[in-house]
Amino acid sequence: MQMMNRRMIYPFALLLIAATFGCSSEVKRKPGRVYMPDMAYSRAYETYSSNPVFVDGQTNRQPVAGTVKRGADWVYHLAKDAEGDTSHYFASQMTKNPFPALDDGQMKEAERLYLINCGICHGTKLDGNGPLWKDGDGPYPAKPAALVGDAKYESMPEGQMFYSVTYGKNLMGPYASQLDTKQRWMVIAYIKAKQGKTAPAAATANP
Amino acid sequence: MMSSRSLPRNLSRLLLVTFFLLTVPTALKAQDGKQLFNAKCASCHAVDKNLVGPALKGVEERWPERDKLYAWINNSSALIKTGYPRAVEVYNQFNKIQMAAFPELKPADIDAILAYIATAGTPKPSESSTSGGAAVSEEDDSDSGLLYGILTLTLAVIALILLQVNSNLRKMTDEKGNASTPEPIPFWRNKAYIALAAILLFMGGGYITFQSAQGLGRSKNYQPEQPIYYSHTVHAGINQINCLYCHGGAQESKHANIPSVNVCMNCHMAINEYAKGPKLYREDGKEVDGTAEIRKLYQYAGWDPDAKMYTGQGKPIEWIRIHNLPDHVYFNHAQHVKAGKVQCQTCHGEIQKMGEVYQASDLSMGWCINCHRESKVQFTDNKYYSIYEKFHEDIKNKRMDSVTVEKIGGTECQKCHY
Repeated sequence: MQMMNRRMIYPFALLLIAATFGCSSEVKRKPGRVYMPDMAYSRAYETYSSNPVFVDGQTNRQPVAGTVKRGADWVYHLAKDAEGDTSHYFASQMTKNPFPALDDGQMKEAERLYLINCGICHGTKLDGNGPLWKDGDGPYPAKPAALVGDAKYESMPEGQMFYSVTYGKNLMGPYASQLDTKQRWMVIAYIKAKQGKTAPAAATANP
Repeated sequence: MMSSRSLPRNLSRLLLVTFFLLTVPTALKAQDGKQLFNAKCASCHAVDKNLVGPALKGVEERWPERDKLYAWINNSSALIKTGYPRAVEVYNQFNKIQMAAFPELKPADIDAILAYIATAGTPKPSESSTSGGAAVSEEDDSDSGLLYGILTLTLAVIALILLQVNSNLRKMTDEKGNASTPEPIPFWRNKAYIALAAILLFMGGGYITFQSAQGLGRSKNYQPEQPIYYSHTVHAGINQINCLYCHGGAQESKHANIPSVNVCMNCHMAINEYAKGPKLYREDGKEVDGTAEIRKLYQYAGWDPDAKMYTGQGKPIEWIRIHNLPDHVYFNHAQHVKAGKVQCQTCHGEIQKMGEVYQASDLSMGWCINCHRESKVQFTDNKYYSIYEKFHEDIKNKRMDSVTVEKIGGTECQKCHY
């Protein structure tokens, strides 16, 4: 009887090993263990870690109000309009692009920025038919503005565009957190360049 | 004495042969089919579930004419234009989403894919309801591995039992015949058995120890449940939002930033329901209510969707970090994305196909070094590397055709550890 019991151990041991290898297809919801946690995980507060020092509990801070970043070429003087007020929006018409005209390399960079940040709604051809709209098949419930071919946007002063890109307008959100001042002006210069060039062509011969 | 020793030897030989017989035949056709399926089909199709396109299980029954099926896969829009009823039916059924044309797939390739589909769905239909095609195939792999393991074990157990029966029988005949035979060696004192068990234990234990020791601190496939079900499939895949739209910091700083909530609200101020995309599933197969997840975002953002105003009651979303390099490793996103022009997917996997994001690479040092050894630095039109005058000179004089990261110091310790 004892002999029998001992013999039974082997298959079970083998089964156990097999089971260890078999259970590898589960969804891994835990990150697993590390050798030395004090070397692996930062003791300093990292960008996105919570932080008991600040009232809002976040390490990531906003720039102090009224400060300008180092090396800033230009500072936008208009603040966002209060709810229901449009005075700054109209005042923004007077703002001119403070940067010199873009050279070819910069224009390419401006196009890249446009395609990343604007193209999803306003379309790669600036016709307001980006993948989020897709002729109404996309998830976006409103047709984005056609920047080329629509007289309203063709004639919109660049300063007003800058205001809208900085603070948002209607359904469009503000892009000041994604594009810095210079990048916003570059994108607007790109749009203006496209508007000047392709508008008459688009009206006559549709590609 | 002699016979009792040679028996285990025969046995192990037998086991070895059966093991090879069991593993070899699966190799050829289905393997290719699986690879092709994952490469070409899995982004839109699953075997058992409708994704962008229909579930492919039983596709051969639904397409009785095989020629037409080939034609459909090679160029679906052409087949729709001919008005072939099944083609038009599928097209309309799946929201008139055009299937990409695969003219490079030959009938033999398609047969291989179909063979894979036929075998893939059958063993565990409920298991394969995960969103990614890759996950499905991995499960199948381990399933067959387990199956063979169990088979081998069963055979081993049967062989052991037979062996015991054999020795018992011999003992009985010996007792009946003459009593002069030596005392049979019991099972647990037989040196052959002990040696076999020791070797097996050593190999198995060693394998487990090595694997788990190496796995310490590596979190490959880590896939935590996030506070909001944010699907990269929907955002980066279907809606083609560029990675840098949200993670623009990747080209400017060490961090690929987590977008602040205002970036989400750029679109979700208007998009307040999830209505037009495919159904979403968590990894465990639970269906996700996209609209409810967008509502969660509004809670965090402090946005009142009815009044269309911010309430000022927002709080940060506590996303769970997946890719976590140890603190003693320096890694800079901008260096890789902007100067190195590395695609996000190179390290993060096919993120545009991930419903819930998982860590695709193990982020081990060997993995980093390997890539640094193999990757060629894009020297042309890249001002960042203009200081490497000798290499530029050598390339110009055709003394070398490319420069790897290793050649510009990419494997030096101090590059990442300081």
